[in-house]
This record gives sequence, structure tokens and C-alpha cells, in this order.
Amino acid sequence: MSADYSAGFIEQIRAAAAHQQRLQIKGHGSKAEWLPLASGDDVVELSSHNGILQYEPEELVLTARSGTSLADIDAVLAERQQMIACEPPQLLPGNVSQVNGNDALGSGTLGGAVACGLSGPGRPWLGAIRDAVLGVELINGEGEYLKFGGQVMKNVAGYDVSRLQAGAWGALGIMSVISLRVQPCFALERTLSAEMSAPRALALCATLGVRNLPITGTAWIEGQLHLRLAGNDSGVAAACVALAEFGLQVNADDEDLWRLLKNQNHGFFQKAAQRQSGAAKLWRLVTPPAAAMPNFLSDPNSDALVLWAGGLRWIYHDDAQAVADYCRQVGGWYWAIGEAMPIDPMQQQIMAHLAKAFDPHGVFASPLNLNAAAGEA
Amino acid sequence: MNTVAQQSISADNLAKQSSAHGAVLERLRGMLPAASVITDAAGLRPYETDGLTAIREMPWVVVLPETEAQVAEIVRCCAEHGVPIIPRGAGTGLSGGARPHQKGVVLGLSKMSAILEIDPENRIAKVQAGVRNLAITQAAQTHGLYYAPDPSSQIACSIGGNVAENAGGVHCLKYGLTVNNVLGARVVMASGEIVELGGVLYDNPGPDLLALICGSEGMLGIVTQVTVALLPEPETKAVLLAAFCEVVQAGNAVAAIISAGIIPAGMEMMDKMAVQAAEAFAKAGYPLDAEAILIIELDGAAAELATLNTQVTDILRAYGAYQVDEAHDATQQARLWKGRKSAFPAIGRLSPDYLCMDGTIPRKALPKVLTEIDTISQTFGLAVANVFHAADGNLHPLVLFDANVPGQTDHAMAMGAKILEACVAAGGTVTGEHGVGVEKLDTMCVQFSSEELQQFFRLKAAVDPTDLLNPGKGIPTLTRCGELGGMHVHKGRLPFPELERF
Repeated sequence: MSADYSAGFIEQIRAAAAHQQRLQIKGHGSKAEWLPLASGDDVVELSSHNGILQYEPEELVLTARSGTSLADIDAVLAERQQMIACEPPQLLPGNVSQVNGNDALGSGTLGGAVACGLSGPGRPWLGAIRDAVLGVELINGEGEYLKFGGQVMKNVAGYDVSRLQAGAWGALGIMSVISLRVQPCFALERTLSAEMSAPRALALCATLGVRNLPITGTAWIEGQLHLRLAGNDSGVAAACVALAEFGLQVNADDEDLWRLLKNQNHGFFQKAAQRQSGAAKLWRLVTPPAAAMPNFLSDPNSDALVLWAGGLRWIYHDDAQAVADYCRQVGGWYWAIGEAMPIDPMQQQIMAHLAKAFDPHGVFASPLNLNAAAGEA
Repeated sequence: MNTVAQQSISADNLAKQSSAHGAVLERLRGMLPAASVITDAAGLRPYETDGLTAIREMPWVVVLPETEAQVAEIVRCCAEHGVPIIPRGAGTGLSGGARPHQKGVVLGLSKMSAILEIDPENRIAKVQAGVRNLAITQAAQTHGLYYAPDPSSQIACSIGGNVAENAGGVHCLKYGLTVNNVLGARVVMASGEIVELGGVLYDNPGPDLLALICGSEGMLGIVTQVTVALLPEPETKAVLLAAFCEVVQAGNAVAAIISAGIIPAGMEMMDKMAVQAAEAFAKAGYPLDAEAILIIELDGAAAELATLNTQVTDILRAYGAYQVDEAHDATQQARLWKGRKSAFPAIGRLSPDYLCMDGTIPRKALPKVLTEIDTISQTFGLAVANVFHAADGNLHPLVLFDANVPGQTDHAMAMGAKILEACVAAGGTVTGEHGVGVEKLDTMCVQFSSEELQQFFRLKAAVDPTDLLNPGKGIPTLTRCGELGGMHVHKGRLPFPELERF
């Protein structure tokens, strides 16, 4: 059962605006612990506002309400051998659960995936979630229902309000309907692995990056580099042969590796819970891919996970200053999961002005807290 | 339009009339070398239009800064005195986005043309905004890398202009548009402040400002530097030509290829008139009896391509291609592409003038929209040739007309607007890659509601509260749309009352 609750959202927004109240936007709540939530007077529940509205495989476009579960979307796409190329993480198990009286696979919603702007292990090769967004129907802070973008991949009519939503964590409005570009699945995927240090793995990724290879993922973890190859049978087979010279061997045991990394079910992420008693935080560092590894990790084999050919590094560390210094030095940014996301002050001011343009009454209680920044500006 | 060039207000006259302009001119001359502040009619003439030559206006002053600091200083100076700024790259834009303002400053970025860094380890290039699109690929080639987006003007167009327009090209389905290939940008805001968006980074915190800047037509900020992603050159390429007796067959073949899970690097369709014009011009070896042809480019590793090639050829045959040719070497490949790439000048030989439309439609709507275009063409009595980026649904109908026939330019523009309305009605958009500029302001009213347009204006005001940057472009005012709406009501006064309007 799917249903359109957008009329109710509009009512809720207008009422909140009239009473100077703030609304939290909630999907499945799969990322509720990633950022400190801003307090709200009421919650807009998106999970019932679900359903795939249009899916045309030959157009490579899927349109769904924002509360639709990613697991439901995956299942529908898989029937036609298609996928969301950027593999947005599904942080909940995706068991069938009752959401407001309806059966739904609660693994994280489409709206949440776009709003949080997080992409899976294939980001450098398969694009980010913002690359997949073609159009958004948005309810702004005035309760106006607005359509931006559309269902075609080339579209430059008006400002790109659709992609602006990626990473906005709901600060600019409630996404009601989202159109995504989808992609054919690859005929064959293979994982190759080899033991090596992190610096050696980064160097190898840089070397392979300029070659024409069907790479769609890299992961360095526990002293091993894993490469994901994807394409047609003959292309992948040829690449396996070519990569043997680097000691990379087909690894049949790690079929599940990429799914575990994407959904953060991998053992590396489980350590976060075990470590909660300790001082070490889990950091997400986005860096230039070839940047050297931080030198402050005492045991990188256990404390670091390097994805995106080096562009994304998850680490456990207790010294926030060291992390900040490292990121400044290499030109990257850091985020301690569970804490506020640091945004460059100049950009934050622009974002705050934009938030005010979409939400003049400050109705949306986004965890980015842009309204607060607007007050200072 | 017989371009009656507006009587230019000479810079010195305007400076005398208006103290603001006088003060601005004095400061511009103080901060830039004399040759970089252009005020004489002969020097201004090249800037009176961009690639949309039907629309012209003489600028007040053209400035050509060489550094980001100069750009920021020019912006601050103009902001203080309320003088509008029209940013300009190479001036190849097709929608009048760089049309000057007679009391404004054209800020040309052509002198900021340094390639700052090619970094093969991170697979990026850092370049100034005035660097030509093709120059990036040429500089990256020694590392086996290239920059993927290739708008047809890539020899001349600048990367800053590409960002402003979110430029596309013929390889978008597989490799994306400018927005999908840019990792960072330095932008001078209307306040004169400089903001750095993105970096050598695959994501960034907060709402995606970099995506917002892409396609914003110089109205939200002036891009001075861009970091683009580079890709390894494909190992091999194959180019196929398929000929069909019916346009619908060609459309179905395109859908079948994509349904089979194949994403070609490029997939272009041309209709009979476009084929005949291109063949006469380029001698590409196109079959003149075809109602439609497809040009398909496949790329990748050699091993991968062998299988793909057979697969695609089989599909083309199965969907009714009566002829499928493969180019056997790079020369033949270039020849097949040459026909397509010279389609516009080829049409230019058939007709004194033509108007290039830029709608995008869902691929499945192609037969329906082509039929509608045919009807519109007959109603208006002007011929149309169709060139179609079939892979991504971007349709370029070329409306043939003669600007020397009084009234025909307006007639052609009215017809073009009808075609764009048909694209919107089919679930598409009025501009796929050329931008709104001034050309498509009216058709924007068809696509967006007044609430949506107002939201665009509030967004613009959030970053440019005094409407300093490229005013009057991109988004139509509600008044303008209201007047158009009024036109629909008072049918009797329309120039073509016999036409259905929707």
C-alpha cells in the first residue's frame, strides 16, 4: 500500500509557520545518530508517504515518493537488472516492518538517501547520489508544492534546486517526490585482493586510475587491498589477467564485502559500539585520493578503512585536533559521526541565506542548524 | 531578426551623464591595464552578442581581468555603484546568456586562461575559468587522461562558461554533463567575496552549492577557477552507422539497446532532412534514402568492446536497420562523426538562417514529438531538420527561415516556442544544455508555476540581493509570464489566431 500524504505535510508546515514551531523531518530514522538532531515541536513522518510512481527501465528513470524504502526500490530495479548506480547506504536491516500500518522494507528511505548525500563504495566511478537526482518535488517552508528538474537527464531550465537538496539534510524543505536516474547492472562483478600496506595501496590505486580498467570500487582494510571490477564477461576477464602482475588475485570469499561496506555492516563499523566506552571516535574523512595516510594512527590495519581509491577514509582516533590538522593540511574535511558537521564559515553563510529563501519562518529543524547561522549573519 | 544594433551609449557619454558610471570607469581604469578596459565602439562590437546572434546589444564597457583578485575588485566596485555585471566566457553560448547590458559591464574571463595543475595521481585538472574545454584534454593527454564533457563548441568554449551553462555534448548518457565532472570551483560572489566550493574531493558537507552553481548562467556568482575530474582515455572505440526506413524504428532500437543494459558512449539520431544536408556538406557516406540514421559510439577496453559491438549490431538489425556499417579505422570513425558534427553548418547552407531549439524529452516520446513538430512545421510553413542526442533525449530541431523576409524571424521564434511547449507537454524540458539566457524566458513560463519562479527569485536574492550579476536572464518575471498568459486569453489579438495554444 502506498499513499500520498503531501497535503497533510503542507497543513503541518502552515500550522508550524503560523505558530513559530519547528518540524523535524523523519524517514526511517536510519541516520538519526549521525548528527545531533535539532529539537522540534513536531515530527513530519515521511515513511508512510511512499510508493514508486513511475519506473521505465528503457528510460533509465525511476520516480518515487520520498518515504519509499531503498530496499523496495532495489527489489523493483533488480527485477529489470537495474540499480541506483551510487549505491546509497541502507543502514537498517530492511526487514519487513509495519510502518504506520503498512508493510514496508525499512532500510532507509529514498528521501533520506538524497537529503544526507551519502554515496556507496563506487562513488568515484559510478557517481554520487547528487549525480543520480533528476528532479525533486519539494514542499518549502511556506507550504508551497514546487517541482524542479524532471525525469530527463539533460535539463538546465532554472537553477538546479533538485541537486541542491543533496546534503541539505532537510534544511530547504520536504522532498515529496524524487526522480532518479538508474543504471543497468553489470553483467559480471569480481573482487580481486592482495596484501599490502595502506601507502602501497594508495600508490597502486593512483597508478591504476590512469589505466583503462573496469574498476568500480576499492577498499583497503586490515592490510589488504580489494578491487571491485565490473563489466561484461570478456572485459572483466581481461582485467583480471592484467591485474595479476600487481599480485591481485580473484577473491571468491569476499562476495559480500561491498554490500557490507556500503551498508556499514562490516566488522570495521561494528567496532564503533564496542569502543563507545573508550575515547576513540569514528571519523569520516574526505580527502584528495592520493593524499598520504595520517601518521598518527598507531595501528592502521585495525583503525582505518580506505575507500574511493583513497578519497574516503574512515578512522578511529581520539585526538580531534590531530584529525583537524591533517585534513587542513591535505585539503580535505572531517566529520566525527554523531557530532555536528563542520562547514566552512563562508559557505555556511551562503547556505544559511539559501535556507532562509526556502524556509523564511525557520520551520524545518535540520540537523545542519543553518537557521541559527542565518541569525548571526 | 534583422539585427538593428542598439545605438550604443558611449562609455564616456554615459560616464558624463551618470556619476556612478563615471566613478566606476575611473576605478576600472585604475585597476586594469588600459587595453583591458574597452570602451570604443570598434572594440565593443565583438561583445554585442554571443552564440545567439539574433539578439544583440552594445555593452557599456568590457573589462578583461587577468586575476581573481581583479575580478573581485571589479565586482566590489560595480556593487558599490549598482552597475550590473554580465560575466562572459568565450561567448559561444546559444541562448543569449552573455547578452550585454547597455549600462552594464561585460566581465570577460578570456585572459584567465592558465592551466594551473594537471594531477594524474588524483586524476584532476585545476584550471582558470577562461581555459578552453578542449585545451584541458590536450594538456591531460600526456598522462593518458581526458576531460569527458565535449560540447560541440569545445574548440572555443571555456570551462567557466561550461560550468555556467552546465554544458553537455554527445557523450552525456555515459559520462554525464559538466555538473557530473566538476569537483571544485572558486567563485566570486556578488559581494566580492571569494568562496571555494568542493576541492579534490568526492563529496562535501551541506547543500550541494557546487551543483547549484552549475547551470546558474552567471547569475549567482562568477566562476574564476575550476577543478575537473579527468578520466583514462578509452582503450578502444567503435563507431557504427545504422540506417532505418522509419524514424520510429530508430527510436525503438535506441530503447532496445538501453534495455539490454548497454550504455553507449554516444548515440545520435538524424532525420532525413538533416542527413541529406549533412551528406551534401560533409560527404560522410550517409545513406540518402534513410528516413533516420543512428550513429553509435561504443568505447572501453578492447576485450569488452568486441562483445558489445556484436550485441549492438544484432539489436540494430533486429529492430529494422536495413544497413549497419562499422567504421574500420580512426579515419572512417572521424568521417562518420564529421557528418553529425557539421549538421548545423550544413543546414546553414540550405537556409539563410536557422534557429536551434534545445528541448529534452523522454526517449519514448520521440515519435509523438516528431509528429507534432511536423504538424507545427506545416502550420507555420517553415521547414525543420531534426538532430537528436538519442541517448539522453535531447532534441535539437533546427527551424529554417530567412531573416531578410520581414517578420519571419519572429515567426520562426514563435514556432520554436511551440516546439518547446510540445517538449514540456511530453514530460520534458525547454532546455537540455543550451540554457535559458534571454532566448527561452517566455517558454520558462510554460514549464514553471508562479510559485516556482518566485522561489527561483528568492534563491537568487539570497546570494545576490541587489541583482548585480547578469540581471534579467534565466528566470522570467511574473509580469512577463502574466503578459504571456494574457496573450492566451485575448486570442483575437494574437499574430496567429488559427493556432491552437496550450
